[in-house]
Amino acid sequence: MTADHQEQLFRRWLADHAGLLWKVVRAFAALATDQEDLLQEISLQLWNSVPAFRGDARESTWIYRVAFNTAIGWQRSEKRRRLKHEAFLKFHDEPAHEPSGDSDLIAALYAAIRELPKLDASLALMLLDDLSYREMADVLGISENYVGVKLNRVRKQLADSLKGAHHEL
Amino acid sequence: MSFEELQKSWQAQAPARKISIDADLLLKEVRRNQSQFRTTIFWRDFREVGVAACMIICFLYHGVRHHDWSNFLVVAACAWVGAFMLIDRLAQRKKTPLNQDPLKACIEASHAQVSHQIWLLRNVFWWYLLPIAAAILLPMWWTALHKGPTGTHLSAFVLRTTFFMVCLNWGIYRLNQNAVKKGLEPRRKELETMLAGLQ
Repeated sequence: MTADHQEQLFRRWLADHAGLLWKVVRAFAALATDQEDLLQEISLQLWNSVPAFRGDARESTWIYRVAFNTAIGWQRSEKRRRLKHEAFLKFHDEPAHEPSGDSDLIAALYAAIRELPKLDASLALMLLDDLSYREMADVLGISENYVGVKLNRVRKQLADSLKGAHHEL
Repeated sequence: MSFEELQKSWQAQAPARKISIDADLLLKEVRRNQSQFRTTIFWRDFREVGVAACMIICFLYHGVRHHDWSNFLVVAACAWVGAFMLIDRLAQRKKTPLNQDPLKACIEASHAQVSHQIWLLRNVFWWYLLPIAAAILLPMWWTALHKGPTGTHLSAFVLRTTFFMVCLNWGIYRLNQNAVKKGLEPRRKELETMLAGLQ
């Protein structure tokens, strides 16, 4: 793979899967500074992974793997000293388009996901994004049956967490 | 609210409206980060293996110039430590987890890596401290024991050096064990918990 091709693919992934990356980042880090730091780390790992991408796996599966593996590792070394970098994330002040009830719900959901063990948090994200059992199994490296078993638990944990926040599942 | 409705709200969230990524700047940062990472790795390798190589050259030169065989023992010890680190680093590099692997495989590889680091630090006395300390102290003691007419003369210098080496090695050993206890063991436990969740 040429350097140009690597850059092209990386840019496309960033454009097409920004939502996915942002969800992972927000699910694993609560503070804005940590979120930017984690996004930088995931981007670095994603960039490194591009030459190994042969198209055997779906792009989203590949990006989920890289993002989750990095996010899990990043939390372990969260306190390490980091070098200052330029702000490549732009936060807009404009109000969100979704109704305020929905944004409260999404915020509560992110908080509930952050309370889960890291692997369950990964599953919860994929469940909410409606990935198939096959895709979840591919990302995690476990059987589809076991994905089913774990999802029941994750669903219950999320429901319990959100009950306190006036939502019922 | 049903789970399906929750999923719908989740999928309808539009992060792009609240956040945008400057791809050019990000790419620049990624490249800068990558180059810093390479530099860090280079200097780490240089510190660990380069220092051993410099010591080999110095002691070899000193030994040849002064016809002092005891210098060659230190050369052999440094060569052993440098080769051990180099071979270990190369062997471990092949086992480095790849982030695009499934989570389970990645966690297993990280677990193996951390376990190996723990093994290395727990045994630092045998592969690092002992060979170098023995190479420095054995010739000194041998010379001291054979110096006096009775063969039991011990100079204060040898005793002082021995005491210093014991204290230094004890300090290095404790530092390593502390790193295992405070950094690596909790990390291994965390990885084991994650693996247990995937079994």
